[in-house]
Amino acid sequence: MKRRTFYMFMSPSLLVMLALMVFPLLTSVWLSMQYMTFRNINEPEFVGLTNYVAVFEDLKFWNAFTFTMTYIAIAVPMQIFTGFLIAVLLDQVSRRIRGAYLAAFLMPFIVVPVVGTLMVKQLFESGGIVAWLFREIVGSRFIFTEQTVKGLILVHALWAATPFSLIVFFAGMQTLPHELVEASMIDGASRLRQVRYIMIPHLRSLFVFVGLISIMDSYRVFDSVFVLTEQNPIYKAEVMMLYTFRTAMSVQRLGKANAMSVITVVMILVVLVPFLYRTYREQTEER
Amino acid sequence: MKRIENRYALAVIYLLLTAYAIFSVIPFFWTTIQSFKTPRQANSRVPLFIFEPTTDNYSDLWLKVIPDDPFFITIALVAIFGLLVLIAINARRFPIARGYVYLAVLALGFAVLWSIPGYVKTQTFYDYFLNTIIVTTGTICVSISIGCMAGYGLARYSGIAGVVILVAALGFRSLPGMSYILPYWWFGQRSGLYDTHLLLIITLVAINQPFTIWMLRSFFMNIPKEIEESAMVDGANRLTAFISVIIPIMWPGIISTALFTMLLAYSDFLLVRILTQSNWTLTVAISKYAAGEDPGHITLAAAAAVSAAVPIIIVVFIFQGQLVKGLTAGAVKG
Repeated sequence: MKRRTFYMFMSPSLLVMLALMVFPLLTSVWLSMQYMTFRNINEPEFVGLTNYVAVFEDLKFWNAFTFTMTYIAIAVPMQIFTGFLIAVLLDQVSRRIRGAYLAAFLMPFIVVPVVGTLMVKQLFESGGIVAWLFREIVGSRFIFTEQTVKGLILVHALWAATPFSLIVFFAGMQTLPHELVEASMIDGASRLRQVRYIMIPHLRSLFVFVGLISIMDSYRVFDSVFVLTEQNPIYKAEVMMLYTFRTAMSVQRLGKANAMSVITVVMILVVLVPFLYRTYREQTEER
Repeated sequence: MKRIENRYALAVIYLLLTAYAIFSVIPFFWTTIQSFKTPRQANSRVPLFIFEPTTDNYSDLWLKVIPDDPFFITIALVAIFGLLVLIAINARRFPIARGYVYLAVLALGFAVLWSIPGYVKTQTFYDYFLNTIIVTTGTICVSISIGCMAGYGLARYSGIAGVVILVAALGFRSLPGMSYILPYWWFGQRSGLYDTHLLLIITLVAINQPFTIWMLRSFFMNIPKEIEESAMVDGANRLTAFISVIIPIMWPGIISTALFTMLLAYSDFLLVRILTQSNWTLTVAISKYAAGEDPGHITLAAAAAVSAAVPIIIVVFIFQGQLVKGLTAGAVKG
């Protein structure tokens, strides 16, 4: 295909992406240097880097930052480990039954995040089945506090995001070369060793892929945290996205919120740049 | 890997898998049960599994006034939509192009949905449902049309610019949504587009575009070049070849991508929450059931959650083959 034809085909999509992704990002940087509430949208006041200073001095922002990092540190390994374990187990089951299990496993993946969160929350409401079990076992009522809400957010993270790693690993296992496995069987390798020395190295690139995607998704988690902290705003259970949202929409400090989102974008570049570089190399090799 | 034959080990495997399956499904199961209870039953000290089901929560959610013959109306609606779905599934067998069949089915379906408030007094929840349909359909149509061209271009062009565009698009898709949604809000306020379907559609198209072009590109790459080349030898230019030769054999890929776009547009929360005030979609509408003080809110929230989940589950059930194809073509390949 000629270059001109390529740009002709590409132009509508490219235009949309330039106008609605690149341009807004630049606008965000500009907005982050303004003092702006809902009242002076049309004539914002330029304040330079004041908003950034305000963000760095804001304890609530650092609380949100800490919780986001804790969330990533717990949720991502948990999702990868569970996904891998279930995929290994599923690989051992006959084809006919796999379908039924997969359908059940994929349910949380398909359902709308807000709906899924509401559904998980139903279990913990008064009269809910887990709340009842909790009372029977622990002896006291299940109440929504900062700690339990944080726990709930993590349980939801495991429930909602594991299917993704599960399906990627499972698909990867189907491409495992037979000869390798058979050779190792003849050498008398145990199953655990096969998993350790054949399967995990074979899936290494998928582990990296799932890890990066999970980190980025966890970093910008919003829907579930919003729904679970809606009860009575528990600010310490806020993640960065939610705190930015509240700063913009409830407190109406739009400049400061934009400063926060610029900061969050800069922070995620640490993970994003290697990811993009990897994809770039893969794509250029593929051609 | 070779399967385990030891019976005890197998038993443990099944046990673990079943436990995880229960963990995955129990919120759906429990919420559905709760949605058919009265608030009193739903709040009982010991969870009730045997009770007399009531549909009050659903009628409270959807209807202002319960019509005289609810049974007849339900049957009629199920029959009409069943018929439309049947036609859509068998679109291939009609003598006209598939695109026209889908269009006709969509138009008829819309006509029925929009005529319902004329006969039955519905709640605002139904309006949110209609909003969702407008926004989702609009996003799919625009996104797929421009995405198909881009995906085709990317699949056939071998210059480095293609790779740069793909990688840059992926980068933008991976950023936290807030960084472009707040500028959208500002733009919406200044231009007067705030709280309109149009703004939702164009912004949803933009944020889903990276995903769409990646997925469509991988489908186009599976179509051999010779097909359009032979058409071009016969005198067609590339655009005509693309429209009349490539698109007709791309339908499976297009449907699969449309399905994923639908899932993304339907489930988007942050963007719709910020860019609308009253023209909510279902996702935003049900989030307000997250909190509530009165004892009835649990059952109402359950009914709302089930109502919003059912359309997605039906669509996924109908198109499950395409979904699997899409997963293997798109996400897993990376």
